[in-house]
Amino acid sequence: MKTPKLVSQAARSMRRYWVRTTLMVLGVVVGIASLGVVSSIGEATRRETTARFKSMLGTFDTIMVRPGGGHSRGMPTLVNVPPTLRFEDADAIARELPEINTVAEMQTAFDVDIKYRDRTTSLVVIGVSPNWLLLRSEDVQDGAFFTQEQNASLARVAVLGTEARAALFPDEGPLGKNFRIADVPFQVIGLLKSRGAGPGGGSLDNLILVPVNTASRRLFNRDFLTMLIAQVRDPERSTEATDRVSALLRDRHHIRPPALDDFTITNPAATMAQVTRAKSTLTRILAGVAAMALLIGGVVIMSLMSIAVSERRKEIGVRRSVGATRADIVAQFLLEAILVASTGGVAGALGGWGGMRLAARMQNLPLTLVWRPFAAAILLSMGIGVVFGIYPAWKASKLDPIQVLRS
Amino acid sequence: MIEAENISKTYSRGAAGTVEALKVISFQIAPGEFVAVRGASGSGKSTLLNILGCLDQPSSGSYRLDGEDVARYGDKQLSRIRNAKIGFIFQSFNLLARTTALENVEIPMVYRDGQVDRQRALSALERVGLRARAHHFATELSGGEQQRVAIARALINNPALILADEPTGNLDMNVGREVMSLLEGLHSEGRTILMVTHEDAIAAYASREITLRDGLIISDFHRPARTMPPLMQGAI
Repeated sequence: MKTPKLVSQAARSMRRYWVRTTLMVLGVVVGIASLGVVSSIGEATRRETTARFKSMLGTFDTIMVRPGGGHSRGMPTLVNVPPTLRFEDADAIARELPEINTVAEMQTAFDVDIKYRDRTTSLVVIGVSPNWLLLRSEDVQDGAFFTQEQNASLARVAVLGTEARAALFPDEGPLGKNFRIADVPFQVIGLLKSRGAGPGGGSLDNLILVPVNTASRRLFNRDFLTMLIAQVRDPERSTEATDRVSALLRDRHHIRPPALDDFTITNPAATMAQVTRAKSTLTRILAGVAAMALLIGGVVIMSLMSIAVSERRKEIGVRRSVGATRADIVAQFLLEAILVASTGGVAGALGGWGGMRLAARMQNLPLTLVWRPFAAAILLSMGIGVVFGIYPAWKASKLDPIQVLRS
Repeated sequence: MIEAENISKTYSRGAAGTVEALKVISFQIAPGEFVAVRGASGSGKSTLLNILGCLDQPSSGSYRLDGEDVARYGDKQLSRIRNAKIGFIFQSFNLLARTTALENVEIPMVYRDGQVDRQRALSALERVGLRARAHHFATELSGGEQQRVAIARALINNPALILADEPTGNLDMNVGREVMSLLEGLHSEGRTILMVTHEDAIAAYASREITLRDGLIISDFHRPARTMPPLMQGAI
C-alpha cells in the first residue's frame, strides 16, 4: 500500500541527488566486481582441480589399498611388493562390507617385455578385474573390454593404452592382432581412450591391461595383489568406509594393536580435499582483499548517506510534519541505501563478468565463468545497503522536526 | 477543537539539569477560531507548536485534538493525526529542493494511504493560483509562490487545523497580504487556524490573541469583530 510509494520516493531521491548516488554506486561496484571475479576464478580453479584429480585417480568414490605399511615407498614392482594383500581380501571386502559397492583387483608389473613381430618394447602391464572401467571412469575407445568370463577362463586378451598402441602398431589396426607379453601370446581386443599425464607428469596411456586372473596365473605366477580398489556406496561417507576396510583387513591379517597395518589405504576424496584446501588459501587471501574493497564501498555509502541526512534535514522535517512516522523515514533512507547498493551490485557483477570475458578473449584463455559468485555478490551488496544504511536512516528518524523546520 | 489542560514540557539538558520550556498551561480553542500566538523567543512558542502539531508529546497534562486524547499517543498515531487533521505552514516555506511544486503538494498523500491523486494536487495548486507553475522546481519560484505551494501542500489532505509558524516572516508586505488572504479563505471555510507571529499587522487578522512569556500564558483576549482586513484599513 504505502510501500511501493516509499520505493518510488526513494528512487526519486536517487535521481535528484544523482552525483552522490553515482559516487555511492561506484564505491560498491569496485568491491562487488572484484569479489565476483575473485570468487568466480576461485570456483573455476576448484572445479578444474577436481576435474584433473578425477582424471588422475579415477572416480572419487573409491578407496585404494596397497600392500605394505606406511613406510614402504616408491613404485611397486612384482619384486618388492610384500605378498600381504590377497585375492581373498578383495573378496572379503566385497562380500562383508555393505558400505562397499564393488572391489577391483590389480596386479601391476613394470618393464615387461612386449613383442609384436620384429618390434619389441617394455611397458607397464596391469592385470585388472573386469569392473576396472567402471571404477576408473575410463572408457574403451575401440573394441571391447574383457568380461568376467574371460577373466575366469584365464583368457589371453589385452586392452592397450594409446601410447602402447602407438609403440606396437604404428601403422596398422591392432584389434584382433596377436602379440606377446613376456613371451605369452595375447590377442588385442580393445583400445583405451587417452588419459593424458598422471600426477608425476608421466603418461597414463603407456600401459597394457589384461585380466587379473590371467596375469596372476599365466604371466606373473603370483597370488597376491599390488593394489585393490574399493568403490564406496555413499561417497559422502568414504571416511567411514575407509575405517571399515582397514578394520576388516587388520582382522583378516591378524594384526593387533600396537602392530601397524601391513597395508596402506588412500582415500582420494581426502587427498582431494587437502589439495583444494591448499589452493583455496590464495583464493581466500584475494577474497579478503575484495571484501576490504566492499567494506570501503559500504563505508562510502554510510558516510555519504550520513551527509545526505544532514543536508536533507529539512526534507525529513517536512515529511514528518505531513504524517511520516519514524519508521517511514527509516524505511525511506534504508530503501535508498539498498537501492544504491544493489544498483552498484548489479553493475559490479555485470562489469566483473564482462571484464572476465574480455580478459579471457584477449589472453586467449579457456573461459570458465561461474555465475554463482556473481549472484551471491549482488545479494551481498543488498546486505551492505542494509548494514551501512541503517545507521544514517536511524539518525534521520531521530531528528526533531520542528527544530529543522524552523531553522 | 483544541483542549489543552495543564500541559507542560520539560527538557532534560543532561548534567545541566532540566529546562521547563512550558510550565503548566491550559486553554481551549473552539472549532473555526483564528488564533494568533505571540511571545518573545524562548517564551515556549515553538514547544507549544510542537505539542499542538503532534510532533511532540507534553511531559504532563492532557491534550484533546478534535475529540481525540493525543497526549499519550505513540509515533504512529501522532503521525496519522498530523497527516489527516493538521496542515503545517512555515516561515521558510520548507519545500523540498530539486522537486517540482506538484510533487511537493503530493507528499502528504504518500503518507496517507500511498494513493497519489494527481488531479487533486493540481486543483490544490489551482486554488492557490499556481496551476500553471505545477512543474516548476521549488527553486524557480518566488518566495510568495513557494509559500502558496506550501499552503496547497498543507491543504491537500483537507485538515481541520492549520498551524502556521510566522507564515509571512520571509515575505514582503504585499506578498504577505496575498498569503494572509489565502489563510483567511481557509478560515472562512470553517478551518481552525493557529498562527505564530510577532507582527502586529499580521496578528490583527486573528480574532483571538494568546501571548506567552517564560512558558506561561500571560494574556488571552478576543478581538472585536472587524469587517475589513487590517492592512486594508491602514491603506484607507
